[in-house]
Amino acid sequence: MIEVRDISRRFGQLTALDHVSFRVEPGEIVALLGPNGAGKTTASRIIAGLLAPSEGDVTVDGISVRADPNAVRRRCGFVTDQPALYDRMPLRDYLSFFGALYEVPAPGKRAMELAIMLGLADRLDTRLGSFSRGMKQKVAIARGLVHDPPVLLLDEPSAALDPETALALRTFIVSLRARHRAIVLCTHDLDEAQRIADRVVVLYRGRVAREGTTDALRAAPQQTYLLTYLGDEGAAHAALARAGVTAQPASANGTPAVRFSAEDAASTNPAVLRALLEAGIGVLTLTREERTLEDAYFAIVSQAKQA
Amino acid sequence: MRNALLIAWREIRWEIFGDRSAVLRMGIFAVLPIVFVFTNRGPRTNDVALFTLALQSALFPALSGVALIASTFTQEKENGTLIPLLATPVRDIDIVVGKLVGMILPVFAICIASVALYFVLVSTQYGVTRVVLALPFGVLYALVVLALLYLLTAGSWVLIVAALVKTSRAGQQIAGLLIGLSVALFTGLGFAAANIADGWALVGLGVAMLASDVVALEIARRVWRREEVLARI
Repeated sequence: MIEVRDISRRFGQLTALDHVSFRVEPGEIVALLGPNGAGKTTASRIIAGLLAPSEGDVTVDGISVRADPNAVRRRCGFVTDQPALYDRMPLRDYLSFFGALYEVPAPGKRAMELAIMLGLADRLDTRLGSFSRGMKQKVAIARGLVHDPPVLLLDEPSAALDPETALALRTFIVSLRARHRAIVLCTHDLDEAQRIADRVVVLYRGRVAREGTTDALRAAPQQTYLLTYLGDEGAAHAALARAGVTAQPASANGTPAVRFSAEDAASTNPAVLRALLEAGIGVLTLTREERTLEDAYFAIVSQAKQA
Repeated sequence: MRNALLIAWREIRWEIFGDRSAVLRMGIFAVLPIVFVFTNRGPRTNDVALFTLALQSALFPALSGVALIASTFTQEKENGTLIPLLATPVRDIDIVVGKLVGMILPVFAICIASVALYFVLVSTQYGVTRVVLALPFGVLYALVVLALLYLLTAGSWVLIVAALVKTSRAGQQIAGLLIGLSVALFTGLGFAAANIADGWALVGLGVAMLASDVVALEIARRVWRREEVLARI
């Protein structure tokens, strides 16, 4: 379990993190989102024991990163956006080397297990310099898992991967959640975060702008509905106005449509339908629009900017 | 210390012997004694020349080692390969010592080979009796120790520079400056030492380097804290 308690980090005059707190439970994926310079990488490096916080503390399985950073490093697997491999080394030697540094009992055997798990068994004795970008990223993940850590910190792991490899990577990360790993995922890919993260922490200029489950963040104060119809556009808008709804023109595959928000759908939507039918407008569909994490993210960042 | 040895072994096996161009570059220094001997034969070759050439055979490979150390560290920073290493539960001092030993050992082996080759060639050329009089084994031993001390000292200072600069170009430039200064220093000291029969100048130089080495290693250890290195990546 990761507990980030009120951490701040300054680099000279620059405050990269400003009193940030959040928790990650075992079997949970938490996505750290935010624009460039928001403090995501700094936060993940502090959790991994690479940087000490200027203030506050982080505990991993109850061990303070300030008190015993090496013990924290033993419990963390850290994967960066760049694979950063030693290109001259073959896969087997590379993973064995890191396994030995993490004091894995049988590093050679562990290297073999990881290579099989990530579909690289036939490349064990190939130099890493000849690997494709996707394969290199898999090796970086294998390096992060070589000591079977309870905590995994992934800093934009799918950056620059092709869609197929990115999908395979996401599936793999989800499988780690099933094995009760606490996972922190720093990403710019909001679709990826929506698909796999249980909770999201949005950072903006080193502060937590919003934290919550992905569903809670996506939930809007007002639901938005898309209505497609057949009939005169002016008559439709007049009918909607009579029903007390402010509608915006929209288009759904060439069919005339309107988008409107409703605080109480149970009373607003029947009124809208009645008004349209009375005006001779044929209603084709009325659907609730799902707010994506991207929509929510931009709304949160916009609020943070104004604040 | 086990982790330092692991890091050193990786450097030697995969960065030195895994890089053909590095092996070739170092191999050039093994050829230098041959060039020294065959370009200095004749009646003008005296004891001072024999000593100076021995000094060059010992120290020229060490000078190449400084450039090697500089490029290795700065390239690791540029390629980002340092971050996974810093994420492991390895002490900072193990990383510093491991990297340093991994670079110094192969270069030091070349220094020894270079001095040995020089001794064999020059003995063949002028006769063992004369060469042993001009270059007693104690002096040869002192030269090899001097090369090791130089490697440790210059390597540690280069390590400090590599931690502070951001690009390998800057690291190489500073290493080049250090090498140039070293060449000038050793050329002057070589002639001075050769003219002092009891070799106290060499001993003095050795002691000065040892003191500098202790200081440099301590600074390198402090500068190479994860914090400092990461802040510059």
